[in-house]
Amino acid sequence: MRNLLNFLAKYNNLIIFLILEGIAIYLLSTGNNYHNSRVVKGIQGVTRGVEKRISNTRSYFRLREINQELAAENTSLKSTVEKLKNKEDLLFFSVSDTIYHQQYTYTSARVIDNSVNKQKNFFTIDKGEKNGLSVDMAVTSAEGIAGVIVGCSENYSVAMSLLNLDFRISARIKSNGYFGSLNWDGRDFKYAMLSEIPQHVPVSVGDTIETTGFSAIFPEGIMIGTVYNFENPGGNFYKIEILLKTDFKKLYFVNVLGNMQKEEQIELEELFQ
Amino acid sequence: MINSILRYGLIFILLMLLQVLLFNNIEFSGYINPWIYIMFILLLPCEISSWLLLIIAFFTGLTIDLFCGSLGMHASATVLAGFVRPHVMRLISPRDGYEPGSDPSMIIYGFKWYLIYTLTIVLIHHTALFYLEVFRLTDFFRTLLRVILSSLFSITFIILLEYARKGK
Repeated sequence: MRNLLNFLAKYNNLIIFLILEGIAIYLLSTGNNYHNSRVVKGIQGVTRGVEKRISNTRSYFRLREINQELAAENTSLKSTVEKLKNKEDLLFFSVSDTIYHQQYTYTSARVIDNSVNKQKNFFTIDKGEKNGLSVDMAVTSAEGIAGVIVGCSENYSVAMSLLNLDFRISARIKSNGYFGSLNWDGRDFKYAMLSEIPQHVPVSVGDTIETTGFSAIFPEGIMIGTVYNFENPGGNFYKIEILLKTDFKKLYFVNVLGNMQKEEQIELEELFQ
Repeated sequence: MINSILRYGLIFILLMLLQVLLFNNIEFSGYINPWIYIMFILLLPCEISSWLLLIIAFFTGLTIDLFCGSLGMHASATVLAGFVRPHVMRLISPRDGYEPGSDPSMIIYGFKWYLIYTLTIVLIHHTALFYLEVFRLTDFFRTLLRVILSSLFSITFIILLEYARKGK
């Protein structure tokens, strides 16, 4: 017994160190999966208030820029409405039942916490389950894609940013339809990498890259970015660097897109796997 | 006793605010993000008992984790820093030992001592932190570059803060 006490007294610091390090590693391994961590959800309520205040202050300084962005989006929406109006005026008046054809729901939200300087970036938006949001919904900015929701509380949601080493999305070259897999390489928040494009495909700098809609999360044809640079590393595939259209450093107003037919698509796909 | 708890509590809050409000918003490319909150571990008194240092380190890291949404990452790196601090201090102790009741500050032990002290602990902390963040060994050298560049910036800011604190 005395030996044991001596041992504990001699190595007590090492033991405390190992215990604390163990707790930290345990938290690290369970806590970073945003959806299944109750700890994070519980405690983050405390820091949320501070973050919201910071975001409010910051947005105040950027009002002019935000207004311009909204005005630009407004203009483009108006022009779309005008086009649709003209269609209706042709010859017959047709009733199109939009409810049956609507596949995606749109919710607008504000980003209240965001980062671009980590390897695994997440951002928080100010809408949650109360507003009909749920896990696996797509998040887009006015310019292009931004991320995917990975966790929802009542009033807030956390989304995995495209700037996350774990983020993967199927993307294609708009001009010829060849698709590959897009992910971020952890270097610069302005660029992402597109892989799995075979070498016989014509690629040129400036080509538009958009989503394919294969994943049932993002709708087809949402802008991602343009080809910035591509090289031929010697295998079967190109290594293509994409200049992202969304500026993640000033992400503020976002749209959340929910696919109403997602379950149907996934169920059907699972039948054949 | 109460007085010093209050004093360190205030320093703690100031450093946290500085880190969360200012330094977390600094980005020079993806390579440099300084973590200056580790200065709190550096400036605790020389004679603090090791177990208390470890526990303080754990909660310092946990506080930053809550703000950054990376539960456990900073806690684990900071506990490591807290664990090595007594060993580092023993290794680089000045010729006549540490004055009882003193802070490990630049004004008492000199610039060179403070630089070595800060450099060692910040490097250990940043190495643990950045490798835990990526959690893979691909791009080993790129992470190493991030560790070195970020450490340089952290050390510079910590020394500037130390000047502001003591070097009047």
